[in-house]
Amino acid sequence: MDVFIQLVVSGIALGMIYALIAFGYQLTFATSGTLNFGQGEALMLGALVGLTLVGHMSYWLMLPLVLVFGALQGVVVERVGVRPAIKTKSEFGWIMTTISLAIIFKNVAENIWGHDDIPFPSPLPTEPLQFFGIRVLPMEIMVVVGALAIMLAVEIFNRKSIYGKAVVATSNDRDAAGLMGINTSMVITFSYALSSMTAAFAGVLVAPLTLTGATMGVSLGLKAFAVAIIGGLNSGLGVIVGGLILGIAETTTGYYLSTGYKDVPGLVLLLLVLSIKPAGIFGKSVIKKV
Amino acid sequence: MSLKIKSIVAVLALATSCTAFAADVIKIGVSGPYTGGSSPMGVSMRDGVRLAAEEINAKGGILGHKIQLVERDDQADNQRGVQVAQELINKERVVATLGYINTGVALASQRFYEEAKIPVINNVATGTAITHQFLPPEYPDNYIFRTSANDVIQSAMIVREAVEGRKFTKLAILADSTNYGQLGREDLEKALAARNLKPVAEEKFNIKDVDMTAQLLRAKGAGAQAILTYGIGPELAQIANGMEKLGWKVPMIGSWTLSMGNFIDNAGKNGEGARMPQTFIQEPNTPKRKAFIEAYQKAYKIERIPSPVSAAQGYDSMYLLAAAIKQAASTDGVKVRQALENLNAPVEGVITTYVHPYTHDDHEAITMNMVVMGEVKNGRVVYAYDSDKGQAVREKAKAKK
Repeated sequence: MDVFIQLVVSGIALGMIYALIAFGYQLTFATSGTLNFGQGEALMLGALVGLTLVGHMSYWLMLPLVLVFGALQGVVVERVGVRPAIKTKSEFGWIMTTISLAIIFKNVAENIWGHDDIPFPSPLPTEPLQFFGIRVLPMEIMVVVGALAIMLAVEIFNRKSIYGKAVVATSNDRDAAGLMGINTSMVITFSYALSSMTAAFAGVLVAPLTLTGATMGVSLGLKAFAVAIIGGLNSGLGVIVGGLILGIAETTTGYYLSTGYKDVPGLVLLLLVLSIKPAGIFGKSVIKKV
Repeated sequence: MSLKIKSIVAVLALATSCTAFAADVIKIGVSGPYTGGSSPMGVSMRDGVRLAAEEINAKGGILGHKIQLVERDDQADNQRGVQVAQELINKERVVATLGYINTGVALASQRFYEEAKIPVINNVATGTAITHQFLPPEYPDNYIFRTSANDVIQSAMIVREAVEGRKFTKLAILADSTNYGQLGREDLEKALAARNLKPVAEEKFNIKDVDMTAQLLRAKGAGAQAILTYGIGPELAQIANGMEKLGWKVPMIGSWTLSMGNFIDNAGKNGEGARMPQTFIQEPNTPKRKAFIEAYQKAYKIERIPSPVSAAQGYDSMYLLAAAIKQAASTDGVKVRQALENLNAPVEGVITTYVHPYTHDDHEAITMNMVVMGEVKNGRVVYAYDSDKGQAVREKAKAKK
């Protein structure tokens, strides 16, 4: 039993990392119907910029700076990669542009920070805490708390503030929101800023647990994408549940079945969801009018 | 009209002078991963080769020709390795190639050299199959040589350390899912079977995995007294860190990659005490090693060599190749291979002085007696047994008939 709980706890920590990145996919999909396939790279840039800053200041002082950096990076992605595609009503242009931007970011990072994985100093003690024989790293708790906190903050912002309402209106019906005088292209830029900001935040949260390097975002970004599909691209609750399902599925099948198959159940689930409920477990199916 | 002829003549003259110029240098390919998780090995290997090439060039080159290294990044990727091999053979027309860090890349790419009759000296990759890929009768001559300790040696030493050195009987194997990890796992199983032992757990992980909880809990559940590893630095560090997290600390004994800088740095204190077979430890216990370490530190402005084993083996591979080209008095692949198989003069290297290191049927320069156990201590790799320090240079063991 202890082993099972330990696996679930590790799975939750892993799943929340996925959920946080998946949340970023969701933010931009809601407003513009586009995704930033460079989400994993936004995470990587956040972590590496954080690593550089942490040499000069404390971890907590570095956090807001990384958030600002992430937001700016998101604006760049939107302006350079996504806006032209939306303008020309290109269905798939943004896929190629966000992927190519991701590759560029990775190469730039390799040139600045080198090719090697480097350790990220942990702001919290690295000694694990014990609860009834279950061992948890303080940093893992912080990942879960931090992920929930930033998602909650974004949700509250969307529901309570006037700017947030503009975001919600744009997500519901971009054309109608435009007619009501909402600057929808501004809202889309903003959603990209928010999306990359959460990714950068995820980067500095997970970096002390994983290793930091130019290639750290690739597999995380991909798994988070699976989470976004499983949970549904328009459901906030969906990504959390999707993340937890994938995280726990990975650790438990690794233990009970075989570590050689630990990535399989998550992908099987992905296939199942796509064939039974393509909008995701918590997603609302939308009829697309052509 | 005459202008046209003149220009043709001029172009032809230029072309011939170009080829004449190209023949003045001896082109040697260097293929390895200079990016990604294997890069500490790739970069150290390349820097070792560069150092040797510079020294040889400073003394006038080989047969009066300067060495020109053609370095290519194979990114530890099998397909990319094949492209590099084709480019080096067909476009750059190299005399020989040094390199290969990754067993998978070596196995995928070597075929092209074998077909082109161009020698390859594997200076880091350890997969047992590497030098056995092209054997008679199918292939009369094998063009693949090696200056690293192969996985049969490594796995035997790992098991010896665990079973004889530490008196363990319950051992878990953790290997990554690459060719390197899985071929190494097979060799470990064989080495255990030779002692009538079976691993109590066998776990797999992928490159870039961030969570090792499941693998470690399974090993723990099986009652493992030590973990035998076959992987590369970053993931090995995650294993060490995962053990700390689970509060289950057993010794890590694994292939030589536990000496990689990115394992030592990322595992920090959790990596202390890990043991691995090493052909070279950054310890100036012979004049040649002292000179090599100092030259490396001076040339690349670092104190700790990222992967000392790769650097030393890279350096030695360049000297072995240079000796063979000199003896063959030719850059023809067949003649260079023959010379490598019958090196007359001893070649003084960092790891050992190579006395007739290769024969037609034996393409391994390193034998088990030349390899020592290293241990991570205070962020560096040191000799695990002080008794190894004294007799630093050992000659190749005679092949058993």
